[in-house]
Amino acid sequence: MLELQRNVIFGQFVETGSFIHRMDARVKIVATFVFIVASFLVDDFLGFAVVVPLLVLIGVVSKIPLGYVLRGSRFFIAFLVFILAIQVLFYPADVPESSYLWRWGILSVSTVGLYTAGIIALRVILLYYVTTMLMLTTSLVDLTNGLELIFGPLQRLKVPVNELVLVFVIAIKFVPIFIEEMERLARAQTARGFPFDEGGALRRARRIGRLLVPIFISGFARADTLTIAMNTRSYRGGRYRTKLRQMRAKPSDWLVLALVTLWVLVAWMV
Amino acid sequence: MRSDGRLPILELKSFSYTYLEGTPKASEAVRDVSFRIHRGERVGIVGATESGKSTVVDSFAHLLRLEPGQVFYRGEDVAAPGYDKGRLRREVGILFQQPDSQIIEDVVGADVAFGPTAAGLSAAETRERVEESLNTLGLPYPDYRLRYIHALSGGQRRRVAIAGVLAMHTPVLVLDEPMAGLDPRGRKELLELLLKLQRERELTLIVCSASLTDASLLCDRFIVLERGTVVMDGPTREVLREADRLAELDITLPEPVVGAREMQKLFPDFPAELLTEDELETELLERLGAE
Repeated sequence: MLELQRNVIFGQFVETGSFIHRMDARVKIVATFVFIVASFLVDDFLGFAVVVPLLVLIGVVSKIPLGYVLRGSRFFIAFLVFILAIQVLFYPADVPESSYLWRWGILSVSTVGLYTAGIIALRVILLYYVTTMLMLTTSLVDLTNGLELIFGPLQRLKVPVNELVLVFVIAIKFVPIFIEEMERLARAQTARGFPFDEGGALRRARRIGRLLVPIFISGFARADTLTIAMNTRSYRGGRYRTKLRQMRAKPSDWLVLALVTLWVLVAWMV
Repeated sequence: MRSDGRLPILELKSFSYTYLEGTPKASEAVRDVSFRIHRGERVGIVGATESGKSTVVDSFAHLLRLEPGQVFYRGEDVAAPGYDKGRLRREVGILFQQPDSQIIEDVVGADVAFGPTAAGLSAAETRERVEESLNTLGLPYPDYRLRYIHALSGGQRRRVAIAGVLAMHTPVLVLDEPMAGLDPRGRKELLELLLKLQRERELTLIVCSASLTDASLLCDRFIVLERGTVVMDGPTREVLREADRLAELDITLPEPVVGAREMQKLFPDFPAELLTEDELETELLERLGAE
């Protein structure tokens, strides 16, 4: 049966109590940001080769099983492969003749195209991996508080920080909820003679369309309920709220951030 | 009703199930659940939340990643390779806890027609089934046929969902919390309707609930679950006799039983296994007369 939660882990939080889980959320967010910047700066395979051991280290320290992350990224990987295939096949024609490996009309495979696609793939994977790791190791409450604290100073410039963070966090939080909802819908529709677990990949994919309308309807209903719930509890932006648990970055957190920054700098330099 | 020589229509053999097995999110739902249900039985499966009721329900129509050797329909292993799951689902009708999740189409008539159409019935037969099911549930066919489901009330949506399952004419009918969200009159009507249908069509009826209130009048046998295991299995009155244990398990007792338990404070030998208020009254009068 459709157990979608296995294949999409985006937005999930998995508590393992590891060192990374216990780190200050703000430090983790900043470190993620450093990685994001790095993914744009690093532009050769050697640079990425330098970053990989750090990513492996993060994976090991977080105690989140690699198999779980990989299986949960199946749709992402399939999508990435599709994009890359397009990127390679339709690579702009201004490449030296010697670079072509295969050519047919406007379609071609060239070493230059492959190289560019490879770099893009590594960038996207790096982006995906660090953001996924951030979400897997940081509870939503910490993520919200961390983001609010980091962007808090912008409040003075009349940027609605709390509202923006809230929208961002709700968007992430709704992904696993929708996935669970889709599972339930698929199960109920299967019971009524509309199977999701039979037939080839294409037929299965086409059936997903049957879920879209009910999922949209329930999405709107959920948003509505959430609004009412927030209003009845007199929710106002975080500006007016005080926090029971103050965030405090430990020296070890700063050390990790320094390590990440240095490591990434080295990757950029080489 | 029970005869152990016959082939059971549904059987679970040491059924265990863990959601998202092998991931950090794994959660065990049921462990080593075994029972047999025979054709024409009316069985209640009761338990508090998280007792594994819904998992057991889903297993009946093979809606989980089942391992072979655990769930049998008419003696056949439903998880065996090559088993016709489509046929199983045409024979085991399930009403889910949230009726909204099983509504597929926008319009009442089209939704109720979904099951029969998927089963390959002709347009005329389908129409007949839709009309019959809607009328039975007190949603007159001409008035409701073209109504939009999302504009109906919660109780009406539940009726549409039930009509959708009834229209499939399945020999086995599984209802997960069918009474939730219905007003007292709606509950009474549904109760009578289910009993009537069960007699007429010789249905095997399975009702899931956290409450014995309506189920005790509907079922002649109860299976009680606690944290994914079977803790009681027997005829209704036998199970009700263990009222204290049921209360401990957080299962809502029928009102006559609640009354009887109060009476036990006065008369220690007062029976707990009462189904109707009339029975309670008779017992009470008997004792008061004797004093």
